[in-house]
Amino acid sequence: MNNQYEFSRRLFMGGLAATAGMTALGRTGSALAADNKLNLWAAPIAKPFKTWDEVNAKAGINIAWSPKSASADEALTKMLVGDGQKLYDAFTDNGGGMEDAMGQNKVIAKLDTSRMKNWGLLRDDVKSPSGVAAHSVRYNGDVYGVPYIANADSLAYDKGAIGGDIDTWGAVFDSQFKGRVAMQDDFGPTLTNTAIYLHESGKVEIKDRSNMSPDEVKAVCQFLIDQKKKGQFRTFWNGFAQGVDLMASGEVVMMSCWEPIQRVSAKKSKKDIVYGTMKEGHQVWNNIVMLTNGGVKRGREGAFYSLCDTFLSPWYTTRQLSRFGFASLTTGMVEYMDANADKFNVADLKAVLARKETRYAVKGNAWQNVYPKNLRAYQEWWSRVQAA
Amino acid sequence: MSQPTTTGGRRQPASSPLSDLLTGERGLGRYAFYLPLAFLIAFFVVPMLLTLVWSVFERTNFWMEPGFTFGAYADFFGSARFENFLRAMKSSAISVLVAFVLGFPIAVFVRSSVPEKAQHKAILLFILPFMISEVIRIFALRPILGRHGVLNDALIGSGLIDDPISIFIYTPTGVVIGEVMSYLPFMVFCGFLAMESVPRYIFEVCDDLGSDTLTTLRRVIVPLAAPGILAATIFIFINGIGVFLIPDILGGPGAVNAGTLVLNAISALDFPLAMAIAAIMLVILMALLLIGHWLFDLTKLLDPAKR
Repeated sequence: MNNQYEFSRRLFMGGLAATAGMTALGRTGSALAADNKLNLWAAPIAKPFKTWDEVNAKAGINIAWSPKSASADEALTKMLVGDGQKLYDAFTDNGGGMEDAMGQNKVIAKLDTSRMKNWGLLRDDVKSPSGVAAHSVRYNGDVYGVPYIANADSLAYDKGAIGGDIDTWGAVFDSQFKGRVAMQDDFGPTLTNTAIYLHESGKVEIKDRSNMSPDEVKAVCQFLIDQKKKGQFRTFWNGFAQGVDLMASGEVVMMSCWEPIQRVSAKKSKKDIVYGTMKEGHQVWNNIVMLTNGGVKRGREGAFYSLCDTFLSPWYTTRQLSRFGFASLTTGMVEYMDANADKFNVADLKAVLARKETRYAVKGNAWQNVYPKNLRAYQEWWSRVQAA
Repeated sequence: MSQPTTTGGRRQPASSPLSDLLTGERGLGRYAFYLPLAFLIAFFVVPMLLTLVWSVFERTNFWMEPGFTFGAYADFFGSARFENFLRAMKSSAISVLVAFVLGFPIAVFVRSSVPEKAQHKAILLFILPFMISEVIRIFALRPILGRHGVLNDALIGSGLIDDPISIFIYTPTGVVIGEVMSYLPFMVFCGFLAMESVPRYIFEVCDDLGSDTLTTLRRVIVPLAAPGILAATIFIFINGIGVFLIPDILGGPGAVNAGTLVLNAISALDFPLAMAIAAIMLVILMALLLIGHWLFDLTKLLDPAKR
C-alpha cells in the first residue's frame, strides 16, 4: 500500500510539474510522453525474459511493470472502483469478456490498428471483424485489445503410464482411470471443456458451449457431480505449481491444464507427458493488452503502440513459444525461428506449433467467455459440484 | 535556549514547548494510552461494521450499490454454499478434536513431568514451526503425503502395505491432517498456559488418592485448564473454516471452506455475498467467544490473579 501511495504521490507531483512546464512552453500532451514511459500492469507470463530490458530495448520504451494475477475480479475492482486508471497506462487480461466490461465502463480506449505496423501479422481469426476470435479483442465492433498470447487448452497425459495416446475428453471420465484424473478448479474452463465433450459426443445438446443456458449448465454440472461421486477425480488443481506437482509426481496420469504445466512437468519428471489433441474440441482463449483512458490522458499512446508492435512481432511470439509454450494468433514464427536457428530448439518449437494448429483446427472448439450471460447459474452449479 | 535544571543532584532535561506539548501534564502524551483503542476501532470495529453493512447492499454488474436486501444471505443459505460451509465446520470440529487428543496431553506432560526451568523451552519447541510461512509448511506436506510420497514409500518399504494409500492427500482426511499440523501448537501453547494455573502437587495428590491417569485428566485437569482448551478450540475452529490455503493445497476435488467461498464470490464479482459469508463467520466467532467466556471466563487465561 505504501508503495502504491508513494507511486501515486510521485505520479501526481510529476504530473503537476510536467503540466506546469507544458503550460509555460505551450506544448501539447504528447510532450508528456517524451520519456516513452509505460506503466504496465501485466501478468508475469507476459514477460518471457528475466527482466523487461529486452522488451524495452526492442520497443524503445521504458516499462514500469507491476505484476498482476490472472484473477479477473482483481482487474475489475482495481480498474472500475479502484485507482487502476491513475496508476496504469496499460494492463493485460483475458480477451473475450474483459474488454467488454472495461469498454462499457469507459476504462479502456478504442485502439487505432493503423498505428501498429505488425497488426497485419495477426491471423484473420482475430484481424477480420467476422473472424472466429474477432469478439475477443472487440467491444461494440471496435478494437480495444491486442492479443499477445493464446492457446487451445487441452489434456496432458503421461503416455508411459497410460500406455498410449489419448484423443478424447472421454478418457477423463473413463472408469479405468478412476482417481488418477484432475481437472482445473475453475468453472470457466472445466465446464466449457466438459460441455464440449458432452455436446460433441452426442450426450447432451448444448447450443453454445461458451455461453450456456441455466439448464445446460445444470446438465454439465450434474454429469461432473456424478463423476465426482464415483471417485473419478483425484482433485481439482489450482495454480501452476500444483498442476506441475500433480503431473510430475505421478499423482495423476492425466489432467486438463495449461500447456506450460505439461512442458514443465515433462521436463521436471523426465516422463513422456504429452499435450494431446482432443477430437471433440478445446476451450480456446487469448490474453490481451489494453490501453487505459488514464494512459491516453498521460500521453502514453505512443509507448503503448510500440509495446503492442513488439508483442505482435515474431521476435516476441517465438520467445513466448519457446519459454512458456504459448503463442499469439500471429504469423511469421516459423520463418523467424528458421532465421535464428542458433537461438531456439527449432524442431521442438515447430512440433509445438504444429500441435497447436491441429488443436485450433478442431471443429468443436469453443472460445473463452469470461462473463457468460448466466454467470450466476455457473457459480451456483459449480458450488454444487464442489459440495458433491 | 533554556538551560537544564538540577533537582536533588540529578540533571533534568530542559523544558521546551515541544516537550511540554508531548509530555506535559496537559500534553498530547496523555492520549497515548488511547492509541490501541483507536487502532482497534480503525482496524477491527469499522471494517467489521462495514462488512455487515455491505452484506445487505445491492449487487451490481461489477460492484455494489447502497440498498437493503438480504438477497446475499438468501443466496448463501439457499444454495450448496451452505452445505459446503457445514462440511467445513464438521472438518474443523474433527481437527479440533484431533488437535486436543494429540496436543493437550503434551501440555499436561510438559507441566507435570518436565523440570520447571525447562518447561518454557520445551513449549518453545512446539511454537518454532510457526516461524515458517504457513504456505511452505502446508506445501511441504505434499511430497510426504502423496501416493509416491515419503509416508507411502515408508509404509510400502516396511511391508505394511502393498499399494500406496490415497487418503492422506486430496481428500477430507488430507485437510484434517493439514489443519492439525498447522494448528496443533495452539492447543499445546494454550493448554500449557492454562496448565500453569494448576499446581504441580495436584498431580501428586491425585496419584496418592489412587486416581488413574484418565480419571485425573477428565475430572481434574481438563476442568481446570478449560479456558485454555476453549481458546485453542476457537482459534483452530475459526481458522479451519476460514483459511482457504489448506483445502486448496491438500483438499480433494472441489474441497472448500468459508475462505474459498468468499474468494469464489469475489471472483464472480458478487461482493455482497462475500461480505455476507464474512459476516456469518464473524457472528460464529463472536458467539463462540461469548459462550466460552460465559462458561469459563476466558480472561483467566491472561490474568494470573484470577487463575
